Amino acid sequence: MNHKRVKDEHIERLYYMKEEQKDSVDALNVAMGEGFDAGIIEELDADDVVELSQQQTRIRLTEKGADYASKLIRAHRLAERLLYDVLGGDFESGACEFEHTVAHELVDSICILLGHPRLCPHGMPIPQGACCKKSARMVQSSVIPLAELEIAQSAKVAYVNCKSDQQLHKIDSLCIRPGAIVTLHQRYPTYVIECEGSNIAMDEQIASSICVWRGPSQPKSVDKAGPADRLRTHL
Amino acid sequence: MWPGRKTNRTHTDSETPQRLRKIAIVGLPNTGKSQVFNNLTGEYALVANYPLTTVETKRARCGIDGETYEVIDTPGLHCLYIHSEEELIVRDLIFSEKPDLIVQCIDANRLKQSLTLTADLLELQIPLVISLNAIDETARKGIWIDSEGLSRLLSIPVVESVAVDGIGTDELKAAITRARTGKIALRYGDIVEDGISTIASVLPQDIGFERKAAVLLLLNDRFLVERIRADYGQAKADQLTEQVNKIRRQFRANLARVLNDKRSGWIDQTVDKVTRKQKIQPGRFSEAFGRLCRHPVFGVPILLAVVCVVFLLVVNVANAIAGWMDAALWVPVESRINEFVPSGFWHDFLIGDYGILSLGLANAFLTILPILTVFFFAFNILEDIGYMPNLCVLTKRLFEKIGLRGSAIMSIMLAFGCKTMATLTTKNLGSRKEKYISVYLIAFALPCAAQMALNMSILGRLGIGAFVIVFAVLSSVWISVGLILNRLLTDDNKSAFLQELPAIRLPNPKAVIVKTYYRLLWFIKEAVPVFIYAAVILFVVDKVGILDGTKNILKPVVNGMLGLPLQMVDALILTMARHEAAAGMIIKLVEKGQLNYVQCIVSVVITTMFVPCFANIMAMIKELGTTRAVIGVIIINCTAVFVAAVVNWVLVFASKQ
Repeated sequence: MNHKRVKDEHIERLYYMKEEQKDSVDALNVAMGEGFDAGIIEELDADDVVELSQQQTRIRLTEKGADYASKLIRAHRLAERLLYDVLGGDFESGACEFEHTVAHELVDSICILLGHPRLCPHGMPIPQGACCKKSARMVQSSVIPLAELEIAQSAKVAYVNCKSDQQLHKIDSLCIRPGAIVTLHQRYPTYVIECEGSNIAMDEQIASSICVWRGPSQPKSVDKAGPADRLRTHL
Repeated sequence: MWPGRKTNRTHTDSETPQRLRKIAIVGLPNTGKSQVFNNLTGEYALVANYPLTTVETKRARCGIDGETYEVIDTPGLHCLYIHSEEELIVRDLIFSEKPDLIVQCIDANRLKQSLTLTADLLELQIPLVISLNAIDETARKGIWIDSEGLSRLLSIPVVESVAVDGIGTDELKAAITRARTGKIALRYGDIVEDGISTIASVLPQDIGFERKAAVLLLLNDRFLVERIRADYGQAKADQLTEQVNKIRRQFRANLARVLNDKRSGWIDQTVDKVTRKQKIQPGRFSEAFGRLCRHPVFGVPILLAVVCVVFLLVVNVANAIAGWMDAALWVPVESRINEFVPSGFWHDFLIGDYGILSLGLANAFLTILPILTVFFFAFNILEDIGYMPNLCVLTKRLFEKIGLRGSAIMSIMLAFGCKTMATLTTKNLGSRKEKYISVYLIAFALPCAAQMALNMSILGRLGIGAFVIVFAVLSSVWISVGLILNRLLTDDNKSAFLQELPAIRLPNPKAVIVKTYYRLLWFIKEAVPVFIYAAVILFVVDKVGILDGTKNILKPVVNGMLGLPLQMVDALILTMARHEAAAGMIIKLVEKGQLNYVQCIVSVVITTMFVPCFANIMAMIKELGTTRAVIGVIIINCTAVFVAAVVNWVLVFASKQ
């Protein structure tokens, strides 16, 4: 298990303890069992995710920690619902892995698909996301080809589909790679995008092979248009 | 193993007792390599604000701190995994000559893109210096790059510079003396690293750069495998290929992606550590202008306006200068000679119809030079701005119709500067079909910068209407030829279009003036002797009587089909030597009133299309082979005569109506 996963497990457990109104380090130790790691607690404290009482006996999430935990729990419980309602399977074992691997952009889509469930199959509340507040009804694919962006819209590259390694290297050398922010400037007569400060002209075939996350990629553009604006909203 | 190494060794052994230390200047396209080369060596390699300006390596010497270095300017290179033939030239150069030092030019605006190459170069373990160029622009954009931090991270010297203004050259020279091999904390994970060492152990002993060569082989670099086959035999190549396949099978995932991801991770970390961006970025006029140039609606009027301004400059300014120079410099000489040299052989030899002074020197310096000066000045401003590559976007759909989908478009755009250089850039095209089409289209009916200047000047004497007619004819011929070639040639692998566009910049006056100066200097060095030889040859064949004979033979074509006076035969012969010389003669004929409106148009059409210049033909031979090039040239010449005849008939018919 990697380091981030261990940290996340501790944070999740602290969230459950908050729901159960518990805050002693001993309780955490018991709940975590073998997974308990005092070093992690120190790190979380240093990261300002948890705060410890003076005698180090009581522990609770800070505001930052609680915010992060609610995102994890939301993903976990939505996954449980998805597996339970839609796939009818063993929801717990699958969902355990889910919140660590899923991209945040996908969680909202699952939430909309399921109709903004309030409770997980265990009956525990699912923290609300931005989509729930707007009651979005339509799911749109989270990953779309660059060619389908609006003009002047920016997005983060998710992955690049390439015909050949040769082409992959060429695209990569222009810094068009997962995680890079691209802005579409022009569609006609041919596509022009901006990526890492340079303008790149490309044809439709390449513009369609670059897949980007729909929705905002920079805090700046969140103000102009939130993610739910781009999902067709319905109040 | 690598080409040229053996010859190179004997060369250094025999000619210089001590081996010259070599500096290779490498970098992404359009990052100022040639400018840095010029700054270091005091030579002049053509620079422009767009990629593909340098297509072949250029060498010169440079003294730093009492030691002489050989500096090598190279075409653009993205990374050591090769995308094009041109990049292969650079990689082969690095691998075969093993330069003692590499200067990597980085456009500070595109730091992230450049670090891919930096990562590759660091793996070579050759001492490296980074020249961080155009640092003034990033500052204006509100981006701050910690060059000292970058230097510490990579443990190599990083020099900030503004190469166009020569700022940072002294610092670069100082850095070269203390250059050292850098460090890179880039590891690809256990399985890959094991694979790299396994392959490195099987590599031929003297190949050099074992680690990088092993990585390239792991990535299935076909050029490298071919090279090993050629130099070390089929058995070695097979052994390596087998070893690589074994490791690739073990790995299962796409190795190229994994290696790229690792490298990207390193690059992102590095960039994050050394750059700071201002939250509020200033609005950039140049960026907005670039977008307008590419815009489907606004782009066209901008293009027309650009052409109009250049046309008016050439017609009014250049012609005025030429007229003034003629009156001030030529008229006195001519009258003096008339006074002292009695008419006869020597008089004709000096200032007759084919006189060495009149058709040779005066034609070159007094008629052509002023036109080229004004035009090159305007054209160099456009090059410095980086305007032309943006036309790739505007004309994309048109080019698709004539079978050019990929980077061939960029080659065609470059042809408006120099057709020879543009022809050489087609070696990068992956598709054979696109290569043939673009080489022929570059040679066909497309005026290069000098030809464009002369056409503007000749037609400007008749008004803008004539200019429009000629260019309508040339473009329709050009497009029809493209359509026909597109039909005739079968598609092979369809190439994709992916072209980085240079950032629009304000022109740098010094750079523009220096470049105009060198272009004119090259014209004088290369063309003026040709003007004089051509005058002498014409003079001799005229005196012997062959010229009149030829004119009589060609009369049905020139006079009958093309409707041109017989003097135009002289111009057509000159066209074969040098297009500028022919244009000078046409201008003289227009001034003497020996060509009317229609004849003038026909003359320009035929001289623009007739016989591509000698250098262009050589480049065609290089890219297509002799047979195809010669057939191409013959077809072009026949078409030129045919089109000119049709234009003549149509215009004569229209004027009679």
